[in-house]
Amino acid sequence: MNFDVRLVLEVIGMLLYATFMGFIFMGIERKAMARIQRRVGPPIYQPIIDTLKLLGKKESISHGFIYDFGPIFALGASITALLFLPLANFQLFSSNADLIVVAYLLEVPMLGIMLGAMSSGNPYSALGVQRGLLTMVAMQLPYGLAIIAIVQHFGTFKLGEIVALQQVHGWSILVPALLLAMIVFDIVFQAMIGLEPFDIITAPAEISMGPMLEYGGKQAAILFTQHAVQLFAETAFFAILFLGGASNLLELLIKQIAVLFIAIFVASIYPRFTIDQAAKFFWKWPTIIGIIAVLLTV
Amino acid sequence: MSEKKNDDFISYELQEFKLFEPLFRWARKKSLWIVAFCTGCGGIEMPPLATARYDFERFGIMPNPAPRMGDLFLITGYVTPKTLKRIIITYELMQDPKYIMIHGSCPINGGVYWDSYNVVKQFDKYLPVDVAIAGCMPRAEAVMDGIMEIMRKIEDGTADSWKRYRENYEYYRKNQDELFGEGWREKEARRWLAWI
Repeated sequence: MNFDVRLVLEVIGMLLYATFMGFIFMGIERKAMARIQRRVGPPIYQPIIDTLKLLGKKESISHGFIYDFGPIFALGASITALLFLPLANFQLFSSNADLIVVAYLLEVPMLGIMLGAMSSGNPYSALGVQRGLLTMVAMQLPYGLAIIAIVQHFGTFKLGEIVALQQVHGWSILVPALLLAMIVFDIVFQAMIGLEPFDIITAPAEISMGPMLEYGGKQAAILFTQHAVQLFAETAFFAILFLGGASNLLELLIKQIAVLFIAIFVASIYPRFTIDQAAKFFWKWPTIIGIIAVLLTV
Repeated sequence: MSEKKNDDFISYELQEFKLFEPLFRWARKKSLWIVAFCTGCGGIEMPPLATARYDFERFGIMPNPAPRMGDLFLITGYVTPKTLKRIIITYELMQDPKYIMIHGSCPINGGVYWDSYNVVKQFDKYLPVDVAIAGCMPRAEAVMDGIMEIMRKIEDGTADSWKRYRENYEYYRKNQDELFGEGWREKEARRWLAWI
């Protein structure tokens, strides 16, 4: 068995880059929100400072093994999802159906957080978990429809081939059916990264922080890192599916930031849905648009 | 000089991590998360601080509803014994290092409630305090000044109320028990969690 040093270095470099850029994306999110509200806002590297501070806490509590394992499980799932994505010319894992693998690996972190949160025994965490699972159930249908539309149009499950086909025939949002699928995916995306109309899981000032309530110190720092990697992976997934992928990291970065800004603008003007409104909404408009998109691609 | 001053206190960190202490101090200074537990009348001074005019988020300060992640506990006004119980429980939920800032005259010496039977006159008998802002009510500028003061204290290591709480726990515990009676924690816990 030969040990490929270059590949290992590439993986480590990609992970460091993704984590760093994820933190910067979180910073951009806070800064842009602040600018929209006519505030100065925190510096763009603020999430890195927050994570450092959480790592520097001198005390940490534990509610048992599962409580500690939850955040690590979530971080591991995010990192695995990242390694399946064709970022520029780097893709570590590739299989015949990596679209499905990535689509579901991006949902696993939420389960990991919930696993940990449920074992903390806090009633607010339990409420947050309940809301999170309901949101996941609600968004599965439109999410699945958007992905079915993509697969029907390109006729492949391989992300690498989807990117290659888009580079030959133009971005997928230029196809009317896939434009509809993009709208559906964008609505689901808002819920996946936990931004405003669908931030029912960690509703601050309503159920405190939901699942994250009991986490503090090092576990919270892991959750912050996980969120950074997750944000990077999800924006990259969006760019790969609908915006034509990227041939270098700069191009990818520009597309990711464009996706992120759409999410931020939507988040900063809409108030929060209650859980029943969110479920009704997901099963009504995105589902209808998704079904139309799927029918158009047949 | 400041290094020597810190060695007088009990050190809770591992020796290996001493090297990173300046970095962590800088991070703590730049990212104070406020526990959103606004007592008394000073809570209304928080919205102007958080919104466009004074905007404390530019210093990384963020109101955080979870006490486990919080760093800075603001006591924004008079404290009654009933509130004090909750304050003590929330303070003990927070993780070290944690800081307390008190607003206004009431927690310092009773303020206008100097002869009231149901107001805690001297807050620092029950919990240690880092920065106290006098005034009734302190304006947003004064609160901002207090926050600057606490950031300066964190940087040179003199914001040590969490260390003092550990070292003098007997003293604080005695005062708390004098006010609420022995075994008040268990009694409170049993009121909300009847199964323990």
